Amino acid sequence: MSIPWLLKHAVEGIEHGRPLSEIARTILLIIGIAAVQCVVRAFSRFLIFNVGRDIEYQLRNELFAHLQTLSLSYYQRQPVGDLMSRLVNDITAVRLLLGLGIINILNTPLYYVYAMSVMLAMDPWLTVLALAPYPFMLMLVKKMSRQLMERTLNVQAGLADLSSRVQESVSGIHVIRAYVREAWQNGEFAALNSRFKAENIALARIRSLFPPLMKGVSGTGLLVVLWYGGTKVIAGELSLGDLVAFMGYLHLLAWPTMAMGWLISIFQRGRAAMQRLDAIWQTQPEIVDGQGDGIDRTIRGEIGFHHVDFSYPVNGTGQFDQSNQSRQRTAKPVLRDINFTVPAGKTVAIVGRMGSGKTTLVNLLPRLFDVTNGSITIDGQDIREFSLAALRSWIGFVPQDPFLFSTRIQDNIAFALPEVDADGVRWAAGLASVDREIEDFAKGYETVIGERGMTLSGGQKQRLTLSRALLADTPIVVLDDALSSVDTKTERDILGALHALRSSTKAKTVLVISHRVSAVRDADLIVVLDDGRVAEMGSHDSLVARGGVYTELFQQQALEEELAEL
Amino acid sequence: MIHGHQEEALTKTYDVVLLRRLWRYIRPYRAHFILALVCLPLTSACILAQPYLLKLGIDGYIGEGDAEGLTRIGLFFAVALLGEFLFFYIQFQATMLVAQHSLADLRRDLFAHLQELPSSFFERNPVGRLVTRLTTDVDAINEAFSAGTLTIFMDILTLSGIVVIMLSIDFHLALVTLALLPPLLIALNFFRVRTRVTYRAIRERLARINAFLQETLSGIMVVQLFAQEPKLFAEFEQRNGDYRAANHLSNIYEASLFSIVEAISAISIALMLWYGAGQVGQGLVALGTLVAFIEYMQKFFVPIREFATKYTTMQSAMTAIERVFQLLDTPVTITSPEQPHRPQQVTGRIVFEHVWFAYKEEDWVLRDVSFSVAPGENIAIVGATGAGKTTISKVLNRFHDIQRGRILVDGVDIRQWHVKVLRSRIGVVLQDVFLFVGDVATNISLGRTDLSQADLARAARHVNAERFIQQLPDGYGERLHERGSNLSAGQRQLLSFARALAYDPAILILDEATSSVDPETEVLIQDALTKLMRDRTTLVIAHRFSTIQNADRILVMHKGKLREVGTHQELIEQRGIYWRLYQLQYVHLQDADMQDAHKIGVSDIRRREPALEKA
Repeated sequence: MSIPWLLKHAVEGIEHGRPLSEIARTILLIIGIAAVQCVVRAFSRFLIFNVGRDIEYQLRNELFAHLQTLSLSYYQRQPVGDLMSRLVNDITAVRLLLGLGIINILNTPLYYVYAMSVMLAMDPWLTVLALAPYPFMLMLVKKMSRQLMERTLNVQAGLADLSSRVQESVSGIHVIRAYVREAWQNGEFAALNSRFKAENIALARIRSLFPPLMKGVSGTGLLVVLWYGGTKVIAGELSLGDLVAFMGYLHLLAWPTMAMGWLISIFQRGRAAMQRLDAIWQTQPEIVDGQGDGIDRTIRGEIGFHHVDFSYPVNGTGQFDQSNQSRQRTAKPVLRDINFTVPAGKTVAIVGRMGSGKTTLVNLLPRLFDVTNGSITIDGQDIREFSLAALRSWIGFVPQDPFLFSTRIQDNIAFALPEVDADGVRWAAGLASVDREIEDFAKGYETVIGERGMTLSGGQKQRLTLSRALLADTPIVVLDDALSSVDTKTERDILGALHALRSSTKAKTVLVISHRVSAVRDADLIVVLDDGRVAEMGSHDSLVARGGVYTELFQQQALEEELAEL
Repeated sequence: MIHGHQEEALTKTYDVVLLRRLWRYIRPYRAHFILALVCLPLTSACILAQPYLLKLGIDGYIGEGDAEGLTRIGLFFAVALLGEFLFFYIQFQATMLVAQHSLADLRRDLFAHLQELPSSFFERNPVGRLVTRLTTDVDAINEAFSAGTLTIFMDILTLSGIVVIMLSIDFHLALVTLALLPPLLIALNFFRVRTRVTYRAIRERLARINAFLQETLSGIMVVQLFAQEPKLFAEFEQRNGDYRAANHLSNIYEASLFSIVEAISAISIALMLWYGAGQVGQGLVALGTLVAFIEYMQKFFVPIREFATKYTTMQSAMTAIERVFQLLDTPVTITSPEQPHRPQQVTGRIVFEHVWFAYKEEDWVLRDVSFSVAPGENIAIVGATGAGKTTISKVLNRFHDIQRGRILVDGVDIRQWHVKVLRSRIGVVLQDVFLFVGDVATNISLGRTDLSQADLARAARHVNAERFIQQLPDGYGERLHERGSNLSAGQRQLLSFARALAYDPAILILDEATSSVDPETEVLIQDALTKLMRDRTTLVIAHRFSTIQNADRILVMHKGKLREVGTHQELIEQRGIYWRLYQLQYVHLQDADMQDAHKIGVSDIRRREPALEKA
C-alpha cells in the first residue's frame, strides 16, 4: 500500500524536477517493498487457500458422518444422486466462498479506507465526486443480490436433479435396454436438461452485469478526476503531481472493486450451497442412540415384542423438506398390536401374505426403525436402552436385498469383523454353503465383485450375504427371505447347519421369514401375520390342525409339491 | 477397503483437437459466437483508447490550460467508457448463450450415448463416476464459459495493443517498462504446465469420492446393520484427504503466481518511473506520457492477474472436456448391422448352435450349448446356481455377444437383427426388480405412450397386481420412491410382471422371478403365466419344480454345459442329473404331514379365488 504513495512521491519529484538520485532512492524503495510484499502475499494467500480446503475437508467429513446416522426412512425419500451433489458440488461452492471470499473481504475494505483517507486529505471535493458512483453501485448490487441468490439456488437444485436422473438411469440400464426404452429416458433427461439450461441462462444474465458495472464505476471515477481535476489544475488549485497521484489511488480501488463484483456472485453461490447443506444438518436421526452401553454383555437372546404398533414416518410426498421436526405418520399402520416372545436359542418363523408386514417387523429389531407404540425387548430389556453399536453387534442380519460392495469376496464376508482371519471367513462361507463355489472361482476369495454384486448369480449373492451375517457368530440371527433364490436342497443344508448349532452352547435365536414350508415347518414357533396383525401363532402341527390362515397359505404349496410327485 | 475401479490412464490429447471437437457443438450457434467475436476487439479498442485520451488530456489541454479542449477530451473518454461497458456486456451475453446451448447439447449426447454402451462398460465403471462425468464435469466447462473465459482472447488483443501503442508513443521508455515481460511469460508458462497435471489428479480424486458416496449411500442399510459406520467413515476420510492433498500443490502454484505478478507489476512501474524521470528532466518526455504509461501498465496487469484464476478454470474445463469426450468415444460394441433384419412378425423360434461364452477371457460360462425351441414352446432351464442359466437370457438379448457359435431367432442370427427390434420382441422379468422413481402406471408402461390406461390395467389384472395397486393411496398414480422401496418385495415382483405383460413380447424370459413371493401369490402368478405362456415362446429359469414341471421341455444345465433335455417324465426315467436333483428336493415329501394336503382338491383353490379368470 505504500507503493502508490511512493509513486506519488516519485511523480511529484519528476514534475518538480528533483534530482535524479532522490527519485532513484524512492524507486529502489518501491522495488524493495514490492519484493517483500510478493513473498508475504504468496504466503498469506497460500495459507488462506489451504484453510479453505481444510474447511472443505472437515465439512465433507462431518456431513458424511452425519448422513450415516440418518435412518432408512430418510434414504427412502432422498435420492442418492441429490445427496452426492450436495456433498461434492455444494461444498465446493462453500469453499470458494471461504477461500477467495475471505481474501477479498479482508483486502477490500482496507484498500478503500486507506485510499479514501489519503485522497480526502489531498482534495475533499474531488474525492467526493470521484467516489460518487460507488454508493449507487452498492445499492444496485444489493437489489440484484437477492435475484442472484434465488437463481443460484435454482441452478444448484437443477444440477442435483440431473445428478439423480443420471444415477437412476445408469442403475436401471438393464431394464431400460431390455425393454428398449432408451428414447423414454432420453426424453426425461431432455426435460431436465432444458430446464437446467434455462436456469443457467437466467443466472448468467445477472452475473454478467457485475464485471462491466464494476469497471464502469471505476472508469467513471477516473473521468471525473480527469475533467474536474484537470479543470482545477488549469485553474492552479491543484498540482499535476497530485492529480496523477489521485489517479493512482483510484487505480488502487479499481481491482478490488472488480473483484467485489465477482465476489458477490461467489458469495451468493456459497450461501445457496450452505442452505442446501444446512437442510441435511437439520435432519435429525430418527433413531436415537441408547444411553446404555452393553457392548461387553453376553446376552442369551430372548426376544420379546410387546404390543408393538408401527407406521412409517412420512414428510410430505416424498420430497425433501428441511424441517424434520414434524414426524407425521402415515394414516395406515403397518403393524398392529404385535405381541409374542421368543425364548433364547429358539427359531421363530414369520410368514404371511405379501405386504403383511414381515420385513417391517424384523427391521424393528436392529432399530432400523423405531416402534410407534409398545416395545421390543432383548433379555427383558428395552432395545432402546442399549447403544446401537451393541444392539447391532448381537444381530446377524440378512436383508431381503442382497447388497454387496464392489470389493473382494473376502472383504464382503468379513464386513462386520475386518480383523478376522481367512479361516473364519471360510467357516462362515461353509455355513452358508457357498465355500466350494468360491473356491471354484479363478481368484477364489480374492475375486472382486462388480458393483452391487453384478457378476454373481442370485443364489450366490444371497449366500454371500448370509455368510456375512453368520461370520460374527451373533446370538441372534435374522433371515429376511434370505434363501429364496437358493434351491431347496442347499436351503436345507444351510438351515440344518444352523439347526445343529441349536443344541450347542452356540444356540442362536433365529428369526426367519420365508415363503417355503420346508424352511418354516421345523421352527419352534411360527407367527402368521395378516394385514399387520398376528393372525395365528404356534407350531407347524398345531397350525395345520387349526385349519386357518397358515393352512391356507401352505396348502397350495404342499399341493404343488404333491402334484409334482405324480 | 473399497477398491473401486481404477481410473483409466488418459492419453495426452492436444488442446486444439479437443477444442475442434467442442467447436462442433458450438457451430449451430455461431451467429451469437460471431457477435461475441466482433464485440471483443471493439471492447479492446475502447479500453486502449482511454489512457491515450488521458495523455492527450494532460499534455495537450491541462498543460496548455485549455479548459474547453479538456471538456472535449472528457466527452471522448466518456464515450470510450460507455463503449467498453456496452460491448463487453453484449459479448458476455452472446458467449453465455452459446455456452448454455452447446453444453445442453453435449449433455444430451452424452446421456444418449451412455444408454447405448455395452453391459461390460457398466460393470467396469461405477455409477458414481458416470454421474460425475455428466454433471460435475460438464459443469466445469459451463463454469469456464460463464466466468468469462472467452475474454482471454480479448485480453490477448488488449495486451498486444498496449505493447504496440506504448512502443509507438515512446520506444525506449516502452522497452524499459516491458523489460520484465519475458520473466513474466516464463512464470506464466511454468504455471500453465504444472497445473495441467495437478488438475487431472484433482479431478480423478473427486471422481473417487463420488464413486464411494454412490455405493455407500445406496448400501447404507447394510452399513448400519453391521455397525460399520466408523470403518466406512475412515475410508471416506482417506479419499477426502487424498483430494485435499491434491489441491495443496495447486494452491502453492496459484498463490505464487499471483504474488509474482503483483511484484512484477510494481517493479515495472518503478523502473519506468526511474528511466522516465531522467527523460522528463531532459525534456524528452512529457508528463502526460508518463501518466499514460502508468495507466497502460495498470490495464496491462489487470488481465494478467485474472489470468491465474481464468487459467485454472480453463484447465479444469479442458480436463473435463477430455474426460467427456473420452466417454463419447467409448465404442458401442453391440450394434446393428448395415442391413438389419426387421421382420414384421416374429414367431419366436430359438436356436442355440454350439454357443460358447465367457464374461472374461477364457472363463467359460457357457460351453458348447446347443438346443432349439419351437415357437410357443415353454422351456424350463434348471441347474445349480452358477450353471449358466441367467447367462443364456443375457446372450439371447444381446446384452453380451457370444464368442463362438450362433444364436438364431426365427432362423436369423441375432447379430443380423436390428438390436432394438430383437429386444422389443423379447420380454424379460429379471430377478432384481428395478423400479423407477415415478408412478405405478409409468413403471408398467415405461413411458410408452401407445399403451392406454386400460391396457395397463388389463396387464395388471392379469398378474393380479391390480388388487394391491388399487389399495395404494393414489392407485396407479402412486409415486414410488427410489428403487421402489415403498412396496414390498412381492408387490415389486408383480409390478415387473405387469410390465412384461404390457410389453407383449414374442419371447418371454423369466429369470427366477417367482421364487421370492408367498405361495398364495405365486398361484395367482402361475395362473396368469399359464395364459401368457400360451402362444408365446417362454424360457423360465427357476429352482422350483412346481413351476418347472408344467414346461413342455426341460433343459438341464450343469457347469456351463447342457447335460440333459426332455420332458419331466423323460428326465426322471433317465435317472441322470435331473433325477438326482429331483430326488434331493423331495425327500421330505415322504413325510406323513403332507397327507393333510390330499384332502383338498385343486378345484377348491379355484373356487376360493374368484379373481382368476377362466382359462
